[in-house]
Amino acid sequence: MDLELTEEQQMIKDMAAALLEEHSSKEIVRSVENDPKGYPDALWKHMAESGLTGLLIPESHGGGGQTLVEAVLVYEEIGRTMAPTPHFVSAVLGAGMLLEAGSEDQQSEWLSKIASGDAILSPAWLEPDRGFGPLGVKLAARADGDDYLLSGVKRHVNYASSADRLVVLARSDTGIELLLVDPSDAGVTLRQVLSASGEPHYQVEFDQVRVPGSARLGAPGTGWDTFSRVLHDGLLLQAAQAIGGAAKALEETVEYAKVRKQFDKPLGAFQALAHYMADASTHIDGGRALVHEAAWNRAQGRPITRFAPMAKLFATNTYQDVTRTCAQIWGGVAFTIEYDIQMFFRRAKEMQLSWWDVPYLEELIAGEVLDG
Amino acid sequence: MDFDFSPEEQKFADEVEAWLVENHDPEVMDPTRENFSQLSDTPERRAFMKKLAKKGWLGMSWPKEYGGQEIEGVYEFILNEALARHAAPQIGKGVGIIGKTLIRHGSEKLKKEFLPRILAAEIEFAVGYSEPEAGSDAANMQLKAEKVDGGWKLNGQKMWTTSAHFADWYWVGARTDPDKPKHDGISLFLIPMDHPGLEVQSLPTVGKDTTNQVFFEDVFVPDDYLVGKRGQGFQMISEALDLERFTMFTLSPITERTRVLVDWVKTAERDDKPLREDPKVRSLIANIVTDTAVSKALSTRFVCAAMAGGKPPTIQSSQYKLFTTTLSQRVCDEAMDITGPAATIREGQDEAPIRGRFEGAYRATMNETVGGGSSEIQKNIIARRHLGLPKNF
Repeated sequence: MDLELTEEQQMIKDMAAALLEEHSSKEIVRSVENDPKGYPDALWKHMAESGLTGLLIPESHGGGGQTLVEAVLVYEEIGRTMAPTPHFVSAVLGAGMLLEAGSEDQQSEWLSKIASGDAILSPAWLEPDRGFGPLGVKLAARADGDDYLLSGVKRHVNYASSADRLVVLARSDTGIELLLVDPSDAGVTLRQVLSASGEPHYQVEFDQVRVPGSARLGAPGTGWDTFSRVLHDGLLLQAAQAIGGAAKALEETVEYAKVRKQFDKPLGAFQALAHYMADASTHIDGGRALVHEAAWNRAQGRPITRFAPMAKLFATNTYQDVTRTCAQIWGGVAFTIEYDIQMFFRRAKEMQLSWWDVPYLEELIAGEVLDG
Repeated sequence: MDFDFSPEEQKFADEVEAWLVENHDPEVMDPTRENFSQLSDTPERRAFMKKLAKKGWLGMSWPKEYGGQEIEGVYEFILNEALARHAAPQIGKGVGIIGKTLIRHGSEKLKKEFLPRILAAEIEFAVGYSEPEAGSDAANMQLKAEKVDGGWKLNGQKMWTTSAHFADWYWVGARTDPDKPKHDGISLFLIPMDHPGLEVQSLPTVGKDTTNQVFFEDVFVPDDYLVGKRGQGFQMISEALDLERFTMFTLSPITERTRVLVDWVKTAERDDKPLREDPKVRSLIANIVTDTAVSKALSTRFVCAAMAGGKPPTIQSSQYKLFTTTLSQRVCDEAMDITGPAATIREGQDEAPIRGRFEGAYRATMNETVGGGSSEIQKNIIARRHLGLPKNF
């Protein structure tokens, strides 16, 4: 057993940390909150140039061909800096679905462009008043000759206004399909809906949108399986991001607790507060080790159907819990926009509720444990 | 990064596993003792410890000149987790606290007298640190050791000496230098447990075992049974804790308890419906399993930190102890909730599901967040040494 990073892993982590610190400072993050585009060009450009956008894409498609171990290291830094980027939706989920189910033509058309940051994909998955599971996918894909006609509404489509293609989860006669749709196509309407984190979410309406059968990823009816497999990898990155955010929020709070005085003592000298922070650090360090263990297992080619939901459940619960506790330690100022802790606080809750929420993850784990 | 044991470690783990299956003895390996089989005073347990000794599995990390194999502590971790998984007695304080302290600080006489007999599992020890006024404030021990001709005369009282009622020797901290600062006035002594003037009084616990208080009345200890240097007792106690990080609190009893719970839930029915379909039960199980995985990850952290050498893994160990003992109790608590009305049937009766395993475990684990450094002490350690927060008490 050994938890040390290789020299290359350490280099990737340090490089990501330095790049994100410079191009995703808190001022920059604040400046793009609620912005329709929602990410700074400079940040995206540097992520592309340094190979981060292609991190998980095979070298044959112009990527770095790294494993989830390297990716969780980068995502922890993304979490620390709250970096606003379409990386997750495009370079992880979009690329992941193409790799999992895309035809050779689809892969060669998109993967190298995603790797270079020149193209952005984003899944269009959730729908109003519907849940996180396959039952939630109701948007209709009616067969019309070799084409599909799409009608329905999607929500929480991140960075949709920048997307070259949406990967739409739609219900056809055969089940759930993944369809590549150009958001500028006739019948597609985008409307930004502000989110808790300030990340750009879109409601996307499809009105009789014609999509050729050749835009489908994989065999008919296999869409959910593909999406679910890819999202399992994604869960580990969400978990890593949450751990990064929690760790940074705690570090800033600990520093504050050393200097802010009440009753002539630094806040950190009060056991009531010190113990909150000790608990928080234990959960963060434990969560990080679990994420690393899960990612390492994935890199060994072992299944992560149990590990992935456990990691995301624990890490995002930790992020939410830690930021709530940190806010308590900051006191009244935590409640003001001027102070930074609220930025973590809002993101933590959004992460807990995104890409499968607590009940859904619990059910995935329970299914693994009880129904096998 | 590597979360597997090395091939050599795995080979050893497999060997231990096979040996434990082969040597299964329900008298010695009793899961309902919930991690405390080593506290059972039976001839069968003593015989089992001698079998472990014969295998060469006691004192594996000791230096070769004292009969050890000088191998890494991770092997003792593997052994102890396997023993705990089979509910067998664990390797304990003789080879750990006492042996390792004697090797580092003991006189030739004490080494010669004790080390071979520890390796052969011939001596049972009791450890006496706590006192009525020295609980979490361990350095506040007041047991008085007065210098007399040729030795020391001890008067006072110890608390929570778990194996005092069957031990052969007592490893005791006493105040030899009351005028020095409290951490520098303590010395360690070895005393035969049947010494005149020692009185052991049982304090039955809510779990399966008794603990004891021990009274000292003019107990004479010869000079050469003071361990190491006078006044260095507290430093040796702290050092021994750090040397023992590999084998302190095993995780296997929790994973086993969870396995038993899951197996039961899979087949149980309530109101004519499978219990496993109850959404609340599914949620509880999911979180227990998840937090158990976090405990394991925390344990991997401290094992790796300990193997890396250098500083003792105090912080990793405190985090693990804090999280794991809290979880251990929660598993019992929630297992009872899941079990429903029958959960209140006292352990050991056939009317209860799994013969009341969780009712017993609920009681047996009550002390885990207190003994061996309470959760609050662990949090103080983490706050000060890991986060660098100011002294807070």
